[in-house]
Amino acid sequence: MKSELLNILCCPVCKGPLVLEVESEEAGEIIKGTFYCAVCNVYYPIDEGIPNLLPPELR
Amino acid sequence: MEEDKIKSVVRDAYAKVAKRETESLKVIPVSRCCGSSNGDLAHGISRAVGYNEDELASVPEGANLGLGCGNPTALAGLHEGETVLDLGSGAGFDCFLAANIVGVDGRVIGVDMTPEMVDKARSNARKGGYENVDFRLGELEHLPVADRSVDVLISNCVINLTPDKAAVFNEAFRVLKPGGHFAVSDIVLLKELPDAVKQSAAAYVGCLSGAIMKDAYIETIRAAGFKGVRVVEETAFPLDCMANDPTAQAIGSSLNLTSEELDNLADAVRSIKVVGEKP
Repeated sequence: MKSELLNILCCPVCKGPLVLEVESEEAGEIIKGTFYCAVCNVYYPIDEGIPNLLPPELR
Repeated sequence: MEEDKIKSVVRDAYAKVAKRETESLKVIPVSRCCGSSNGDLAHGISRAVGYNEDELASVPEGANLGLGCGNPTALAGLHEGETVLDLGSGAGFDCFLAANIVGVDGRVIGVDMTPEMVDKARSNARKGGYENVDFRLGELEHLPVADRSVDVLISNCVINLTPDKAAVFNEAFRVLKPGGHFAVSDIVLLKELPDAVKQSAAAYVGCLSGAIMKDAYIETIRAAGFKGVRVVEETAFPLDCMANDPTAQAIGSSLNLTSEELDNLADAVRSIKVVGEKP
């Protein structure tokens, strides 16, 4: 996932902002990390460059 | 079928399509409507539903799985620098076409709920060196996309697969900027399907039993708030064209439909291209 796309992401459930934590990054692309929604208290993983923003019950 | 069950059936079926090698697509007998000289089923279907040779040649190999029922990117009238969102982006085909038009100053985001498809799309993006395309796992009824952040929304033969179409169009409305617009290709019905087809998981996955009546579909879009909603093209959609995996063959044989019943079914099914704007 490219970091410049962050500003158009949101929590799929409450539509609020997500807090990004990067574990590994390559050439401006986030490879591993998490998004956290403080309102829903839910973590959304980023694995192999793909953010998993499915609502929790669908993962 | 219940909503959760529908989602897992659809996801499993499209995961299988994503994993299947391009080569194996070619051994499926090419049908009368989608036939093409090179024997490539995905290619033949894509030509039949409105893609030209240049478009087909311009995307990474493996991006086109022949699962569409139109060419929404062509319909969308994209411009350089725009932000485009593709609902149900699959292996990325329409995203790459859109990316070629919006260029380096634009960006394209593909959302799909099937991990295998998103993996494939991402590897296709790498193969093709696309810097302006990004894929994420997400559900169309709960888009992980911020309010008023998208110029143009496209979707190709996917919304019929979603159990809650009103939620999908409400979300589409939310993420578009005021003045933004959408171009969608999808399957709708002109008459209700026989019960046996309605109950069939294969028919659901094959874009049949999830389809709703055309008038209800258009009304759902208007109810979400869109203006200028119009069907710009409507074509009979030969059932054979839905045969790329969740197959019409499976539908035909598993449901034991006679050829007359299949013809009736074909009369009921339409592929439409719809556009509309967010005021």
